[in-house]
Amino acid sequence: MTAMPAARPTPPATAYWIGFAVVVVLLIVAPLVLPPFWQRFATEILVWGLLAMSSDILIGYTGMVSFGHSAFFGLGMYGAATALLTVKPPSLGLALLYGLVAAGAAAVFVAYFATRLRDIYFAISTLVFSQIFYVIIFTWTEVTGGENGLTFSQPRLTIPGIWSDRFTPVTFHWFVLAVVVLSYLLVRRITQSPFGMVLQSIRENEPRTRAIGYHVERYKIVAVMLSGLFAGLSGVLYALQNKFAAPDFVFFVVSGEVVIFNVMGGMGTLVGPFAGAAFFLLLREGLSRFLTEYYLIPLGIIFIIMIIFLPQGLLGFLRRRLNT
Amino acid sequence: MAERWHDEAWAKDMWWSGKTTRRKFLALSSTAAGALGATVLVPAPWREAFGQAKPYKVGVLQPLSGTAAAGGKTALVGTQMAVERINQSGGVNGRPIELVVADYESKPDVGRRKAEKLVLEDKVDVAEGGYLSNVCLACMPVFEEHRTVWMIGVCLDTTITTTKCSRFVFRPFDYAPAQAVAISPYLVNKMGKKWHIAYLDYAWGQSTRDAYLQQIKKAGGEVVETTGIPLGTSDMAPFVSKITGSFDGLFGIFFGANGINFTSAIYDLGLTKKYKYAGDGAIAESTSLPALGQKIEGFVGINRYLPVLDPPLNTPHHKKFFDQAVTALKKIDPSGPLPDRYVQSNFEAMNFLKLGIQKSGFRGREDTMKLIEALEGMEVKEGDDFPQGDKTLRKEDHQAFLREFIFTIQGGKHKIVEVVPKEKTFFPPACKFV
Repeated sequence: MTAMPAARPTPPATAYWIGFAVVVVLLIVAPLVLPPFWQRFATEILVWGLLAMSSDILIGYTGMVSFGHSAFFGLGMYGAATALLTVKPPSLGLALLYGLVAAGAAAVFVAYFATRLRDIYFAISTLVFSQIFYVIIFTWTEVTGGENGLTFSQPRLTIPGIWSDRFTPVTFHWFVLAVVVLSYLLVRRITQSPFGMVLQSIRENEPRTRAIGYHVERYKIVAVMLSGLFAGLSGVLYALQNKFAAPDFVFFVVSGEVVIFNVMGGMGTLVGPFAGAAFFLLLREGLSRFLTEYYLIPLGIIFIIMIIFLPQGLLGFLRRRLNT
Repeated sequence: MAERWHDEAWAKDMWWSGKTTRRKFLALSSTAAGALGATVLVPAPWREAFGQAKPYKVGVLQPLSGTAAAGGKTALVGTQMAVERINQSGGVNGRPIELVVADYESKPDVGRRKAEKLVLEDKVDVAEGGYLSNVCLACMPVFEEHRTVWMIGVCLDTTITTTKCSRFVFRPFDYAPAQAVAISPYLVNKMGKKWHIAYLDYAWGQSTRDAYLQQIKKAGGEVVETTGIPLGTSDMAPFVSKITGSFDGLFGIFFGANGINFTSAIYDLGLTKKYKYAGDGAIAESTSLPALGQKIEGFVGINRYLPVLDPPLNTPHHKKFFDQAVTALKKIDPSGPLPDRYVQSNFEAMNFLKLGIQKSGFRGREDTMKLIEALEGMEVKEGDDFPQGDKTLRKEDHQAFLREFIFTIQGGKHKIVEVVPKEKTFFPPACKFV
């Protein structure tokens, strides 16, 4: 009897792209089938996931824990708010531009000083910078609205000279999804490029990376800037969705939540932070409905259990496959 | 000794050792299912009284966790007291009120999400509550977008009924400009012409400072200087030590722990002996008095509500409200705090909604515009629904005007020194509804 030839295994890349396409299609369909509240919630998860992914560039790939992402996120919000309040008619493009410039400028400033430090000192310095931005925004009421923040209306979705329409919850979800997918593909490309390999080398052994001739500080500065830019982009999206910018988002607690998203989802995977954000936000929403103000107790217990029994996070086991 | 503890003789009775037959299993299962079903089918207390009448769903936003949790829980007591009373007296238009409470964790993003949950998922007919101004401002567009009336219970920020006003949002209690109008003549004519204002340096403190700057000047006085102190500053001595010079009185704009810190700092530096001390009534809320002790003696403040039974608050309506509030507050805080203005304003906010629903024949969100029209310009009289006193809910900006109490602290207690009628607290509207 002739033996049947063994089925050819699916190459990892093909399996990855099939999985990616399935998830994207599900996310495209989601707002069409979900009730209005969950529609909006799905969009919010994408935005927080993007912020968590931006933080993964530092935490997961470069080995630098940042507590300053709230500053980049918040400045992205305030940048967008400035564009929407000062330019008439409100422009989506300018909101994105202003938000990215604000977050990028802050990232350059923070990166220049903070990357001279390592480990816990880096983490603390980013926390201090975020608090400096928080105090400035909180007290400079004439410009930032202080504690109350800034409120504005949503710009129209415009393709100059061709088409313009108001956002609906569904079209806004698709817009956010498009931005998030493009950002993910770009960051994935960056982390798999030689530059990304150097970042991972810094994470594994910084003195050796330096010894073989890489200017580690420059790589770290670029990593913080990249991370800050994507954090700012998520801030712009959040501001566009909620039509307000508030100092609470610059407060370091937001950075802490982002670190939790990474730990829960799986650091160094890029998609893990999205899963972590989704898991955490859904869990928080679900628990708070039944336990009102006591929801934090089970949430904390679940987080501790996950750290003990699932230290790599929800998607940590895929880390190697996702990075090949 | 047995290897496993449940094999020990003493543990035998703790375990089921009989035979589980199918009959026993079915009997036990059906008993359990019956008990569960009976529990589910037992009507809620209000259902027993109202039969099949569909309740009005009222969404309540409060910070029950996070930094403002203590205040949010107190504020919720006022809402619950009013609803309990309304349901006991037959509901509104024969329908009971059902509260849907959402905790926004003292965060604006959560507040906005919870507001959307209330209108989209819970499909509430109207909303009430709010505590932190930044959260109120973040949630206002949600209620506007979904055309739902929101009767705010606490948020103080001036812009809620001025530059950021909304046709769907009402504030049934006072705001800083009205308080400044009410107390400034007293400050200038009875305490001194020259004032120094110290304030919490953030949005609320700054807008309140501006209101007093304007009104003290209008009353013929002068503000010689102002000092801003960042929110949350625990040691205020470095800021307070700079308050020197020639003036008659020091006016403080603080609340909660910040008010306690500020008062302690100026007392320790001898400023309360050198200058007359007055300020926003939030400095001397009943919850802060035990911590302040002797240091707050002689303070003059303004507030819409005081937990006293002296004239003109010695009415049976206020006595009833006061006693019920003390009982309700004791359930959440065994130390038995006295009711504050947050309990009062939430209690009365619910009663404004009740009157509006009655007057407009409101059935649900489809009648929102009728409810708004019924509430606009509504005049209410002192009584069981409004133990604080008469009120006008102004049509132009949805801002209420009510009588104010100028008080002093004597022997650790509030003492009313002057009552300013609501007509003397009016401040021109600065709102344009879109």
